[in-house]
Amino acid sequence: MAAYQREVIDFPYCDEVSKYDKIVKIGQGTFGEVFKARHHKTRKIVALKKVLMENEKEGFPITALREIKILKLLRHENVVTLLEICRTKASAYNRYKGSIYLVFEFCEHDLAGLLSNVNVKFSLGEIKEALKQLLNGLYYIHNNKVLHRDMKTANILLTKDGRLKLADFGLARAFSFPKAGQPNRYTNRVVTLWYRPPELLLGERNYTPAIDVWGAGCIMAEMWTRSPIMQGNTEQHQLTLITHLCGSITPEVWKDVDQLELYHSLELPKGQKRKVKDRLKSYVKDQYALDLIDKLLGLDPKTRMTTDEALNHDFFWEDPMPCSLTQMLSQHNQSMYEYLAPRRRIQQNHHPPHPHAPPAPPRQNPSTSKLGLNTASFEKTY
Amino acid sequence: MMAADSSSSLDNVKEQPPKSFIPTIKRLHFKVVQYMMEACIKLKLDSTTSASACTIYHRFFSRCQAEDYDPYLIGATAIYLATKVEEQFCKLRDIINVCYRILHKNESPLEIGKLYWDLRESTVNCELLVIRTLGYNPKASDLPHKYLVHYLKSLQSWIDKDTWDSVPLCNTAWGFLRDSYHVDLCLRTKPQHLAIACIYFAMEVYCVTVPYNDVAKIPWWKVFSEDIKLVRIEAIISELIDMYDMETKVKPQAVTENSNKTATDSLNNTATPSK
Repeated sequence: MAAYQREVIDFPYCDEVSKYDKIVKIGQGTFGEVFKARHHKTRKIVALKKVLMENEKEGFPITALREIKILKLLRHENVVTLLEICRTKASAYNRYKGSIYLVFEFCEHDLAGLLSNVNVKFSLGEIKEALKQLLNGLYYIHNNKVLHRDMKTANILLTKDGRLKLADFGLARAFSFPKAGQPNRYTNRVVTLWYRPPELLLGERNYTPAIDVWGAGCIMAEMWTRSPIMQGNTEQHQLTLITHLCGSITPEVWKDVDQLELYHSLELPKGQKRKVKDRLKSYVKDQYALDLIDKLLGLDPKTRMTTDEALNHDFFWEDPMPCSLTQMLSQHNQSMYEYLAPRRRIQQNHHPPHPHAPPAPPRQNPSTSKLGLNTASFEKTY
Repeated sequence: MMAADSSSSLDNVKEQPPKSFIPTIKRLHFKVVQYMMEACIKLKLDSTTSASACTIYHRFFSRCQAEDYDPYLIGATAIYLATKVEEQFCKLRDIINVCYRILHKNESPLEIGKLYWDLRESTVNCELLVIRTLGYNPKASDLPHKYLVHYLKSLQSWIDKDTWDSVPLCNTAWGFLRDSYHVDLCLRTKPQHLAIACIYFAMEVYCVTVPYNDVAKIPWWKVFSEDIKLVRIEAIISELIDMYDMETKVKPQAVTENSNKTATDSLNNTATPSK
């Protein structure tokens, strides 16, 4: 084994990204940047996602490898399609590493962008259609033994012809159902805080597809409330918000919850009643919808509804039936992304803590930040 | 390599093939895989991870010329990539130290210093090279291991218990499969077919047959994989025999008695599908 000599190597199996022209930046996260781009010759529009590699001590990031592996495995109309992988030339500018871009089919909107725009109105049938596609996508990936682990509205894309797609598999991984005596030990640092299910907040590492279902429940409620329903700023705060909505977390409603690592070290409000339906009924008038949200937001992951059961719920089979999103979306010519959305509400400046985000800067003085997120007023967050 | 007893019984059953010329390149890859296997055992990696590493290695050299690269570096990199692909994460530092130690048996262990950092940098850059060369698809197909275990489990209920318990059929088949990675069979064979051939070979070695197979409408291997023919099984086995023959001709460069022992141990620990 000898130190490897740098040289110019041709990679016939991997095109250069310069065959695309970047048009505009449409996303920014801990993972890197996302651009809208056009192919020189074919004029085809794509999305380019840059894999950050500059600071990788451990070589090619395993998360990117997982994302590629998973996306090559998954082919479904409700999962974003990976078209190819491109590279930049290695040069002195990037310490001979060269960057890598994942090339995706282009989707015009993301759900966070759509929901933040008051001019975008979903009818009940359209909400049903969006959720049906969302659950269909989740059902497919879970069936293929993949956990998404970062469900949130910003990661749900919509094409202008009304097709919903799960995107950003940067935190996703393959899973196996836990066997007795052989618990899985997956990392606990997943899912953006506002969409994080109670079992993760309590330190569970042997988790199941139910973690994505919780996120689907949060997103479903958000279709009506138009902003995330539980905007905690710490893990403890998030758990408190969950308790206020879903009732106290006790071994009575959640068998064996006291076995979880953080059950005894975190403060869990006692004596709270479950009031999911109560607190959402001013937004959600449909009884079936309320019932489905209630079941998706089940505290105990073992009894939380699965995607299959959710798709069989009366919500999807009672009038008004799911109807195409094409017509509604065709009224909007401009792309809507969370990243590009005008900061309409002060709240939007505040981003939920991403599990892999660098440590947050010290919080501002609460009196100057009008986030309404301190414990005293959290009831107002939706 | 395989436990000594099974390869000697192998000699009893099959005649030694005529001594033929082994291309230098094949010999080189054989030696590198030997070194990779030793490293994987010392790093306590699963058989599937080391198989995945060897597959990456062979795929790389099916697209690149061996003269252009240091195969030992590619080998170490393939191990590193495989630990990521198979989700059995291992520190790059450990891989570098273990690989260095195997290649420099009589020298002192690698110190943290310029050489270490250079090797680290090389491996990381090399990883990018390998992953690009493989078209960003480091896991192109399934590994045969799960098929092997599944098939053996089915066969166990077809073969009578006394026969089954009297010979180490599972360990031997598993061993053949592990060893098959010394050549690039994995690139040219469907995982199902490779698994079947390893079992067939092990059964031949121990003279075990599936009851009534000769009068059965469908031979047992066709039950597992419809598209396999007996000639293909025989061809795979003959490649395996050539590979074992090569072992006697390639001077073992790195494999010491000590590591041989651990190889057999880990083989016995992992190959227990029958239980």
